[in-house]
Amino acid sequence: MAPLTTYPVLQVENLTMHYTTRKGAVKAVEDVSFSLDKGEALGLVGESGCGKTSVALTLLRLLPENAQFLGGHVYFFRDGSDEAHARRAVGKPVKILLDGQEHQGRLVEVDRSQLVLDARLNGRTQQIKLGRDDIARLGVDLTALSDEEMRPIRWKGISMIFQAAMNSLNPVYKVGDQIIEAMQTHMPIPIPEARERVAQLFQLVGLDRQLMDRYPHEYSGGMKQRAVIAMALACDPDIIIADEPTTALDVIVQDKILREMRQIQKKLNMSMIYISHDIAVIAEVADKVGVMYAGGLVEFGPSEAIFKSPIHPYTKALMSAFPSIKGEKVKLAALPGEPPDLIKPPSGCRFHPRCPYATEICEREVPKFIEHKPKQYAACWNPLM
Amino acid sequence: MKRIWQTLTSGMSKFIIVRLLQIILVLYLYMTLVFIILEAQPGDITDIYTANPKITPEAKEAIVKQLGLNKPIYERYLNYLRNFVTGHLGCSFKWGNIRDVPDPVCREQRPTWDLIRERLPRTIVLFLTYTIVSFYIGFFLGKLIAWRRGAIIEYFSTVVGVVLFTVFTPWFALLLVWLFAVNLGVVPIGGFINPDSWTNIRQIGSVDCSIGISCSNIVFNHMLLWLGGLTLFWGIVYLWSRRFPYPWQRNTARWGAVALGLVLAGLFFGGGWLGEIDRVVLARDTKFEFFVWHFEFPAGTIPLFPLALDFVQHMVLPILTLTLISFAGTMLLMRNTMLETMREDYVMAAKAKGLPDHVVRDKHAARNALLPVVTSLIFAIAFSVDGGVFTETIFSWPGMGQLLLLSALEQDYPVAIGSLVFTGIFALVAHVIADILYAFLDPRIRYD
Repeated sequence: MAPLTTYPVLQVENLTMHYTTRKGAVKAVEDVSFSLDKGEALGLVGESGCGKTSVALTLLRLLPENAQFLGGHVYFFRDGSDEAHARRAVGKPVKILLDGQEHQGRLVEVDRSQLVLDARLNGRTQQIKLGRDDIARLGVDLTALSDEEMRPIRWKGISMIFQAAMNSLNPVYKVGDQIIEAMQTHMPIPIPEARERVAQLFQLVGLDRQLMDRYPHEYSGGMKQRAVIAMALACDPDIIIADEPTTALDVIVQDKILREMRQIQKKLNMSMIYISHDIAVIAEVADKVGVMYAGGLVEFGPSEAIFKSPIHPYTKALMSAFPSIKGEKVKLAALPGEPPDLIKPPSGCRFHPRCPYATEICEREVPKFIEHKPKQYAACWNPLM
Repeated sequence: MKRIWQTLTSGMSKFIIVRLLQIILVLYLYMTLVFIILEAQPGDITDIYTANPKITPEAKEAIVKQLGLNKPIYERYLNYLRNFVTGHLGCSFKWGNIRDVPDPVCREQRPTWDLIRERLPRTIVLFLTYTIVSFYIGFFLGKLIAWRRGAIIEYFSTVVGVVLFTVFTPWFALLLVWLFAVNLGVVPIGGFINPDSWTNIRQIGSVDCSIGISCSNIVFNHMLLWLGGLTLFWGIVYLWSRRFPYPWQRNTARWGAVALGLVLAGLFFGGGWLGEIDRVVLARDTKFEFFVWHFEFPAGTIPLFPLALDFVQHMVLPILTLTLISFAGTMLLMRNTMLETMREDYVMAAKAKGLPDHVVRDKHAARNALLPVVTSLIFAIAFSVDGGVFTETIFSWPGMGQLLLLSALEQDYPVAIGSLVFTGIFALVAHVIADILYAFLDPRIRYD
């Protein structure tokens, strides 16, 4: 097995999810695809209500009851040698990375040394057997798991820093105990060791270790935010989703915490998904950026490329609507119009009513999400090249 | 000395001390009010002889004079306060002494304190059990129907609960008596012991029971002490086990404590040691009924459990009735607060942490939803005091409520005042306990 320099931890394909309401289905997530590599930070950016948080909740399968999952796959990758992961994948759609090649199929059986897979090869379905050691990465489709099978993935595989982190600490338990609870759910770790680990995490996020025996109401906003970050790190997850991690904080604390998160992420070589409406935050932390508009991904690519030369008009509009402290003084351009109603979204490209470059085809047909520049994808009929 | 003072004045202890002082003031006002209200009622003890031609007006006057009712009101008020402070609640006008030796103060009358001491434990046991049972059922159902919203159980328990909550209490109680006691015959109709079985008891522990029924309180107090002791023991084990490194160790310790408590209580009541305190001596062969089962015990020494079970079976119907009538209040309140906390971010976070569903529900959502519901528990305790009059009368439960009703009807001032004051003390103490409980349940509340 050749060591890979970069390999995926998450691949999202054609994710679609609607909310059922009395007025009709709210098309909150439409056909969203992206991938995340090990050690990479992905930023999802877009206006409020464009479906960023819904994407995150779909990944963790934490959707409210009125949510309808309509299709798509979420492949969560681990090493092929991870026993629990392989067992969990039996009978489920999987993706396998083998000698730099991707194979898709359904895992039939797994034992100590090999893995039996129903896969389509050369146009026909056949059963293949693969040695466990040959497999670099095994990805299981999270959407096919039962709730009980999903439980070990939560926090240990994918953890989350919630929007309004202030409220994601339970007011009646000590902060340290809440972090220990998460650890003890996923690994048999005795309390003294767990407390030691909490102390280390607190040090990492810049909190005094004495604070772990305090209640949330004794914390300030910034301290709570740090505690929540420490909690997300508790089980050493593969991926952390940070949903508006700093929105409730003032700008100075916000900047400090973002820098620290970035440092921690680099230090632990962790994969992260940042979700924010604030393009400045995303610019600071993300390696890759996904721009969302009205439930769909409109542009995706390396952050440098996107910030230097956006392809989609919406990305451009979003960037010019935010002030930059650095760089030259430019007039802020507000985007005219309102975000569309997701119950009855506009036909064709959902952005066309607000788009200055819109042509007749935009109204008629949904643009395909294709690679316009190397590694820079966008869904637009009139890309800005 | 300084340190003791600091502990006393810091936070919680200070709060408790201030609260106790407040209670003494409230109690004084309450006692005065009770005295005035009873004085303001028309008539006196002699009214019950109105229809008796043998009692002449002179004889009536003699009774009034003997009982001190001819003295001016302020003098009687001061007397009443002085008696209360010295721990003597006066002598009953109606009840005669049942002891072998006449009371030094009351002579052939029965001291009020003696009546209360006999009856208060009965009321406390009945209403404490009912409060806990009804609160727990309401809490549990409320939590469940909020968690699984829209399920059949929600409609069912809401409709049933609300219907029972609004039904006329005495009618419903009589209906249950008719159904379970009269028609099905599975529980006794009323009372708190079965006198047929108890008349044969000669001795309980080391106490001679030649007067029979008066011995019931010994068994009763044993049960009460065991309940309290085991609860305390479990609480200590619970707090102590919090420091255990692994969750399974905590659970083992807690369930182990429950098992140990049950085994010890079983040994005590089952005749494990039959010593000075838990031995019952029967004068002749006796039949004990327990629901639909009958046990025959030969004359001689037997364990306590048939007597204890006799209490239990008499408590079933009152507790069932009270619970059915009142659980809906807690349930609906719990449902509402639970629905609110379920929307909180920390519940979502708990789910995201990968905790099992029931842990998210119980430890995170329900634990927070519980806080306002505890407030309703305080009202439930206050209700149990006045509800006692109804319930104890219908089920002939010889507790404080019944005593209050009887003494009020018969113009037995000392006993009426005494029982009212004690129900008042009962309610006030319950309030303090609830306040303290609240401070433990919600760390955000600090009484300083």
